[in-house]
Amino acid sequence: MTAVPVAPHDAPGPPRPNRSTAWRRNRAYVAGLSPTAVLLALFFVAPAGWAVYASFTNRALLGMAAREPRFVGLENYRKLFSDPDLATVLLNSLAFVVGSAMIGQFLLGLALALLLDHAENRRYRLTPLVYAAVLLAWVNPSVIAGFQWVAMFDFYYGSLNEVLNRFGFASVNWLGDYPMLSVIIVNVWRGTAFAMLIFLGALRTIPSQVYEAARIDGAGAARRFWDHTLPNLRHIAVLVLLSVTMSTFGTFILIQTLTNGGPGIQTETIALYAYHQAFRDYDIAYGSTIAVVMLAINFAFAGFYLRVSRPKV
Amino acid sequence: MTVAAGLIVPSNRSAHAGASGASRRSFPMLQGGLSGTITVGYADELGAKPKYVEQAKATVEEANPDATVEIDLRQVAGGDYTTQLLLALDSGEGPDVIHIGGDRIGALADAGYIEPLDAYVAEWADWESQYPAPVKGGVTYGDSVWAIPYGLDTRFLYFRRDIFEQVGLGRDWEPANVAGILEAATAVKEAGLEDVLPYALYAGTAGEGGTTAHGFAPVLFAYGGAMQDEAGKWIGASPAIDKALAYYEEAWQTSELVPAEILTTAQPWKPMREGMGSGRVALLFEGGWVYGGYQTAAAAGDIELDDIGYLLFPTEDGGPSLTIGGPGTVWYINAASQNKDLAWEFIKAFNTPEITAALNLEDPHPVARTDAAALPEFQENAYLVAATESLESAVFLPNDARLNDVGTVVQSVTGAIAAGDATAAEASADFLEAMRRELGEENVATVTA
Repeated sequence: MTAVPVAPHDAPGPPRPNRSTAWRRNRAYVAGLSPTAVLLALFFVAPAGWAVYASFTNRALLGMAAREPRFVGLENYRKLFSDPDLATVLLNSLAFVVGSAMIGQFLLGLALALLLDHAENRRYRLTPLVYAAVLLAWVNPSVIAGFQWVAMFDFYYGSLNEVLNRFGFASVNWLGDYPMLSVIIVNVWRGTAFAMLIFLGALRTIPSQVYEAARIDGAGAARRFWDHTLPNLRHIAVLVLLSVTMSTFGTFILIQTLTNGGPGIQTETIALYAYHQAFRDYDIAYGSTIAVVMLAINFAFAGFYLRVSRPKV
Repeated sequence: MTVAAGLIVPSNRSAHAGASGASRRSFPMLQGGLSGTITVGYADELGAKPKYVEQAKATVEEANPDATVEIDLRQVAGGDYTTQLLLALDSGEGPDVIHIGGDRIGALADAGYIEPLDAYVAEWADWESQYPAPVKGGVTYGDSVWAIPYGLDTRFLYFRRDIFEQVGLGRDWEPANVAGILEAATAVKEAGLEDVLPYALYAGTAGEGGTTAHGFAPVLFAYGGAMQDEAGKWIGASPAIDKALAYYEEAWQTSELVPAEILTTAQPWKPMREGMGSGRVALLFEGGWVYGGYQTAAAAGDIELDDIGYLLFPTEDGGPSLTIGGPGTVWYINAASQNKDLAWEFIKAFNTPEITAALNLEDPHPVARTDAAALPEFQENAYLVAATESLESAVFLPNDARLNDVGTVVQSVTGAIAAGDATAAEASADFLEAMRRELGEENVATVTA
C-alpha cells in the first residue's frame, strides 16, 4: 500500500478560505450529515447522558426510590467497585470478547473471506451455498438463534446429545460444564458473517496486478498473503476488530437466552449484569452505573484501536 | 412472618350457606351508570383466564352501557410481562386494571403505582363477609388494602410414589424431618434408576422467584429460621441460614442429589415440573398450581395421577408441617388510571364466587373467597381441599418492598453453591455481606443461637 504524501509542517499551505466561502463549500456535507447527527444525538447521546445522570441517583422501578429518586453522588460507583461479583463479571466479559470477537469472529471471518474470495475466483459451484449458510446465521435474530442453540445444547432433549448418544457416548451438560465455551461458539457462529463480508469487500479492492507481479517474482501463496494481502487489509482489519469487539462487549441477548449468566455467574458478562440489575432487580441507577462504566471501556477500546491503526508517517 | 391459621376451610354449615348464597347472587352487585374506557392488562401463558376476563368485561359493559372495557392480554411468561408493565407504570401509563403477583404489593405501593382500595372495599359487603382475615392480611400493606386476590398460592413437596415404592421407601412415604428429604433422595440415587433425577431443588438466578419461594424459604423455615426479626429487620445471619445453606451444599455438592443439568436448561422449572409428571424427577417442592397440569395430563391418559404424592414440608424435628403461602396473582388499580371507579367495577365483576371457583378448579389454587371454597364442585376436589387446608400451615413471605432485593441475594448465594463456586460456610458469609450491601447495614440483623 502506498503512503499518502504529507506536507512538511513549515511548508506554506493553500490559502485559507474565509468563513462564508467555507460554509458555501461545506453546506452540502452539513445537510447530508445532519439527519445522522440528529439520530445519534437522539438515540445515543441523550440516553447515554441520561444513564450518566441516573448513575448519580438511586432511581429504581420499584419501591420508594421509584416514587422519589434522590441524588446519591458517587454511591453507585462505590458500590460497583466494591461489588465482589465485578471481577468475575469483567473476566467473563474479557473471555467472551477475546474468544468470540477477537479470535472467533475476526479470524474466522478473515479465513472465510479468503476462502470465498479464492472460491469465487475459481468459480466453484458451491460458493453461493457457503455464502448463504454463513449469512443465514447472521440474519437470524439473536433470540431465535439463542433458542435454536438451546435446543441443540439441551441436556435432555438436545440434538448434540442425541447425536452423541447414537454413537454410544454419554450426554454432555454443555451449558452446565462448558458454559462460556458454549456461548462463545454460538456468538462466533452468529457473528462471523459481518467480519467475513467486510473482509471480502476489502479483498476485492486489492488490484489483481499486485498478485500477478508477486507471482512473476516467484512469491508463493503464503508470501503473497503476508506481503500483500495483510498490509492491504490493515485499516479494514482494525475497523472490523473495533466493530466486533464493541458489539460483542455489548451482547447480552444471546447469553441471556442460552444461560442467563449461569451457572452461578459463570457467563454473566458486564452487559448482562447491567441488564439484570436494571430490569430483573429493577435497580435502574445501578444498572446505569454499570452501563456508564461499559461506555468508558468502549471508548478506551476505540481509542486504542484507532491509535494502533493510525498511519505511521 | 405471618402464619395463616384457620384459613377458609368452611364448616359444613357455612358450606351450605356459601353455596346457596352463591347461587342467589348470579351477578355481582355492580354499580351502573359509569362511562368511559378502561384497559385491563394481564399476562396468561396457559390460557386459563381469558374466558373469565371476557365474562367480567361483559358483565361490566352490560351494567354500564356507556362504558368500554378493553383487554390487553399478553401471552408471555409473568416475569417478562412484569418488567414491561413496570416501565409503563414508571412513565405514568399502563392499563387501568393491573394483574401481577401479590408478592410485590409493598414495592408497588411504595412506588406509587397502585391505588389503595380501602374506600372501595369499605362499600363492598363481600370483602367483610367472604374474605378471611389472613387473606386480607396478604394484600394489606401499611394500613391499606391494595389488591384483591382470587386464588392463593400454596406449595407442596411432590414425590413420585412409584419410584419411592421401587426403592423401598413405600408409596405412602413421609419424611420424619427435613433431613429425611435428603435421605430419600439419596436412596433414589443409590438405587441407580435409569433416567431418574433424585431431587430438583431451586437455586440461583435461573430459578428466578422460585429460588426463594420454592427453594430457600421452606428450608430456612424448616430449620426454625425467619426472614425478618420482630422489629422488621431482615436477618442476614442466623443458625437457620447456616443450616439451610448446608442443606443446599449437601443436596448440590456433597451428595450430588440434584444434577447440575437441572438448572442449565432454559426456564428450568419446566423440565422440573414435567419431570415430576413423567417420573423423571423423584422429589420436588413446587407450587400447588402445577398439580393442574398433572390433572390435565392424567385426564388425557398420559400419566397416572396416583403416582404423584404431595405433602407439606417437614421441619428439623418433625414430619410434614409447613408450606409457603402467598396471595397469588392479584388485581390492582393503576394509581394513574383516569377511571378508577370503572376499574373497580371490573375487579368486582371478576371476583365473583362463580368465576373464582371455576378458575381455581381449572388452574388449581386455594380460592380466596369462603363462599367459592364452599361450592360443591370445589369441595369434591380432594386436591383443592388439601391445598386449602395447607394454608393453615402456611408461612407467608414478608409483604415488604425489599423482598425483591432479598430474593436477589438468595439467588446469588444458592447459585454459587449449586455451581460449586462456594461452600455453605462461604455462602453464609456472602449472604450477610450481600444483605448489608443491598439493604443497608442498619436494616440487617444477625441472630445467634
